[in-house]
Amino acid sequence: MAKKTYDLLFKLLLIGDSGVGKTCILFRFSDDAFTSTFISTIGIDFKIKTVELRGKKIKLQIWDTAGQERFHTITTSYYRGAMGIMLVYDITNEKSFENIVKWLRNIDEHANEDVEKMILGNKCDMTDKRVVSKERGEAIAREHGIRFKETSAKSNINIESAFCELAEAILDKTAGRESAENPERVVIDRRNNEKAPAYKSCCS
Amino acid sequence: MSSLGGGAASNSIPTISAAVSSSSLASKTSASNSSDALSSSNRQLLTTIQIVQQKFKENENVLSIFEAYQIIGQEHTSRILCLVVSVAGGTYAVFSMAASRLPPRSCSDLTIDKVFPLNESFCMGNDRKGSISQLQFTLKCSDEQPVKYFYYPLSSDNDVVDFDTFQAQVTSAKMSMVLSPSESTALSFAWVNDYRQIGEVKQEMKRREHEYIKYKDFTIYCATYNVNNKSYIDSPLHLWLAASEDAPDIYAIALQELDTSAKAITFSENRPDYMWIMKMLESVHDKGEYEELTSVRLVGMMLTVIVKREIRSSITRHNVKTIARGILNTLGNKGGVAVSLQLNEANLCFVNSHLAAHMGFVEARNEDYHGIVKGLVFDDELRRTINDHDHIFWIGDLNYRIEEPPGLQLPVARSTAHSAEILLKYDQLRQEMRKGNCFEGYTEGPINFRPTYKYDPGTDNYDSSEKQRAPAYCDRILWKGSRITQLAYNSVMDIRQSDHKPVYAVFRVSIKTRDDHLYKKVHEEVLKLLDKRENESQPQIIVEKTIIDFGMVRFNETVVSDFTVSNACPMQVGFEFKRKDPPLNAICEKWLRVEPWKEKLMIDSTKSIRVKLSANVDSITSLLQKIRTTNWKFDFDILILQVENGPHIFITVTGEYKPSCFGLSMETLCRTDRPLCEYDQQQIKDLMNDESPEFRVTMPREFFLLIDYLHKQGPKVEGAFTLDSLEFKHARNVEFNDIRDWLDTWSNNEFPGTPQAAAEALLMLLHLPEKPLLDPYVDDLLKTKTTAEAMELVSLLSSPKRNVFVHLCMFLREGIERKYYNGMHVATIFGRVLLRSTKKSDDYYRDINCREFMQRFISNGEMSTLSSSSSSASSATGSHHNHHRATTPVAKMKNSASNASLSGGSTAAVDSS
Repeated sequence: MAKKTYDLLFKLLLIGDSGVGKTCILFRFSDDAFTSTFISTIGIDFKIKTVELRGKKIKLQIWDTAGQERFHTITTSYYRGAMGIMLVYDITNEKSFENIVKWLRNIDEHANEDVEKMILGNKCDMTDKRVVSKERGEAIAREHGIRFKETSAKSNINIESAFCELAEAILDKTAGRESAENPERVVIDRRNNEKAPAYKSCCS
Repeated sequence: MSSLGGGAASNSIPTISAAVSSSSLASKTSASNSSDALSSSNRQLLTTIQIVQQKFKENENVLSIFEAYQIIGQEHTSRILCLVVSVAGGTYAVFSMAASRLPPRSCSDLTIDKVFPLNESFCMGNDRKGSISQLQFTLKCSDEQPVKYFYYPLSSDNDVVDFDTFQAQVTSAKMSMVLSPSESTALSFAWVNDYRQIGEVKQEMKRREHEYIKYKDFTIYCATYNVNNKSYIDSPLHLWLAASEDAPDIYAIALQELDTSAKAITFSENRPDYMWIMKMLESVHDKGEYEELTSVRLVGMMLTVIVKREIRSSITRHNVKTIARGILNTLGNKGGVAVSLQLNEANLCFVNSHLAAHMGFVEARNEDYHGIVKGLVFDDELRRTINDHDHIFWIGDLNYRIEEPPGLQLPVARSTAHSAEILLKYDQLRQEMRKGNCFEGYTEGPINFRPTYKYDPGTDNYDSSEKQRAPAYCDRILWKGSRITQLAYNSVMDIRQSDHKPVYAVFRVSIKTRDDHLYKKVHEEVLKLLDKRENESQPQIIVEKTIIDFGMVRFNETVVSDFTVSNACPMQVGFEFKRKDPPLNAICEKWLRVEPWKEKLMIDSTKSIRVKLSANVDSITSLLQKIRTTNWKFDFDILILQVENGPHIFITVTGEYKPSCFGLSMETLCRTDRPLCEYDQQQIKDLMNDESPEFRVTMPREFFLLIDYLHKQGPKVEGAFTLDSLEFKHARNVEFNDIRDWLDTWSNNEFPGTPQAAAEALLMLLHLPEKPLLDPYVDDLLKTKTTAEAMELVSLLSSPKRNVFVHLCMFLREGIERKYYNGMHVATIFGRVLLRSTKKSDDYYRDINCREFMQRFISNGEMSTLSSSSSSASSATGSHHNHHRATTPVAKMKNSASNASLSGGSTAAVDSS
């Protein structure tokens, strides 16, 4: 097959309560499209998207997880392989915001210690149904020292910039550690560090 | 200088181009050419060959396609091979493409993975024909390893030719190029390089080049001078190198006979002569700032490329190479030196050659030319030959002479200015080019200057020596490639050191240049497209259901559910159930079986997966533990179906476990106030997690029922407990479920089985709870030396456990005494059950230890300590309506047990309060 033409491969994970719009965010980012019909994700799905940052071609492999509570235990086993995590809540759903703390605890327990995180308050186009103010989102992000953005997959607000910002943060970290001469190295090193590879056979 | 700009057009010059009959090639591919028009509206109607055609540019026609496959690792991977002709290059190549689906539906399903230009080194071999199931052949070109392909005896697609046809077509294509040997060197394979780009992005960018390429004019100044071993000192070289009005962008300056000493020849002098280079830099156009890009030398030949500072950054690559064509083709007195460079998006090549001398050696010169063309390969990443460039400038002392025309034998006669036209008729180079014997595809501008050889040094006079060498146009500048306009071509008479006159030519070349803005736009589109392609080609599987609901699941009954998985993509796809993290370390929980756990799905195929659930003696302990500890809604398991290189699908196995007495702790059983069949999963979970010291009865009724039944059987229980009782053979029969129901309903009916089955049920009741009966004192008890010491510990057990233990011992003792069963065997199996190690160690000595412990309690002389304990236990029975039923057998048993054993006497009663 043709050789892959990217400099770095970053694995990102989308987590958050069921129905907050994780799949829509991914769909907007990867296909620049939006569909309002809700289909619950039953499992782990991924899409790829190549972005250029600072002259480097970075392939983002973004894993979309099932948000349903019955899958929480099982999805945590996917945290380990992620270099960046998008934690999504719905600004029209108080409960999904309250659960952010729970999700953060999950990340602390199961993800790599140096994983880059970002909180997204999605559905920010639905102003009339808003129950979580932007200030509260910012406050919780500040409290945990995490990036924050309000997004709308429907109106395409901040989606691209959120992913690029997260990727850039990962790039900052990797650039300090690894020389970019060996494009695969970053990824391989990370995988080797894992006790048991989370998705051994499914990385491109 | 006056001649500048005058001879721009090359209209009067015989232009020799590669003799490729483009019409014959075009006729075969008329169908494929129309594909572009169809592509948007009727994509599904395109034939495979039309889709393949879309991978190529205009003027590159797919002649035939052939289906093959490669075996990479264990996998068969499909390949489409196609024979393609470039009408412009006049050459053929075989392309190997990976297909993400077959037949391809659009050109995005295809990726070129290998290119085989049909050059001389190309070879298609099938000498080792395999069996009918593994027909194979190899393709090889250049010095690369042959690539092995396999093919099927029959093809599925009408468009696809069979192997023999394909091989015949490839062979004849190669032959057609080789037939006339002189042509072969002129044929350009440069077009093939566009497809050798590494990576999909580059390939796709190359394909869409026309969308972001514009042309930018550069001035290129070529100069040649055979210096005849003379120094440059005092030469007015600026007359030669600065003859153009505007400052050129690039100079290619060729010298010959720089040093033809034997020493230089023998040691293949290859160090550029920096004194000369300095002099050149001084003499180039003064309107520009210049620097040397590179120089290459072989003995007398040197080629120096000098570029304007401001365009230096536009040159992204440059390589040099030399080739010797002197004596034995190893000495460098003759041959060529060349520079290859990339200027923006165009590849340029400058060749300086000094070909064989003397009037009669036309053939030798032709041979030198061919030798250079074939032999000179740059050491760049694509191993470019001279012909692999967009623009080629051939400069040098080519040494072609003028055949002597009648009446013009003497040098003097040839010196008249107007005779050039006549002389050129007899110029060997032009004659040979017209015949197609050399410099195929090259163009030379009109010559409006005197022959440049041979002069008496220091003068403008032709050779006056004895030899009286005939004047000739030895020093020439030719070009090949499109978008080149010659602006000047002249010699310089006023430089007189050598027996040659220097020659120069000025060109305007439109260089392929990337429009950065458009490039960025196309690049973004390409990335998007490739991402989309990758996302869309992700393998997909459709799972019939993601929730398997088994409904009510009962102990010791296996339930089965099948569901289908279907391939939802146009290629073979593999899947397997993902192994979960430790401690489970398996694809599913103990009580499940999933078959098959790993499978490959061919295109359009469906497979059935069977999920079996059995909550039986092997799994009930862990199942109940999971029920007890699950905080969220209980699912039997969530299976992860992992599609190879694709998504992971969660399959939830759910349902409700119908509680039974088996597996529940003695404490839990003592908390029930009705038969187990009247409880549901949630209620039993609550009971399991209840840690209060309140119990509704002193001993589980299920335990009473069994002990009572066995007790009543008298001698019939003989052999009920044997060493293999722990294999639970009865429980693996359907009949056993009647015993389960008898216990779980507190049935008044007769026991629905044999004493042996009842004995096994008793063992199961004691063996299946999460913790052994004597937990948490198992290890401490094993360390005790005396029965009294042990009884002290037993008294610390929860009352249900303590009572069960005491009554069990009394019951067993009686049986042993009456010789119903072997005391040693009973001690062994009950030792294993009651003192079960939670650490799963399989220690032989521990086993003996347990047996000996049990023996102390079930053999003669020890029972006295137990009797009072049993009485207190029975009296502690609650005031429940089942009180009577529950206590009766115990009372009976107590009586019978004490009757049979030593009565009274002992005072070491176990305190049950």
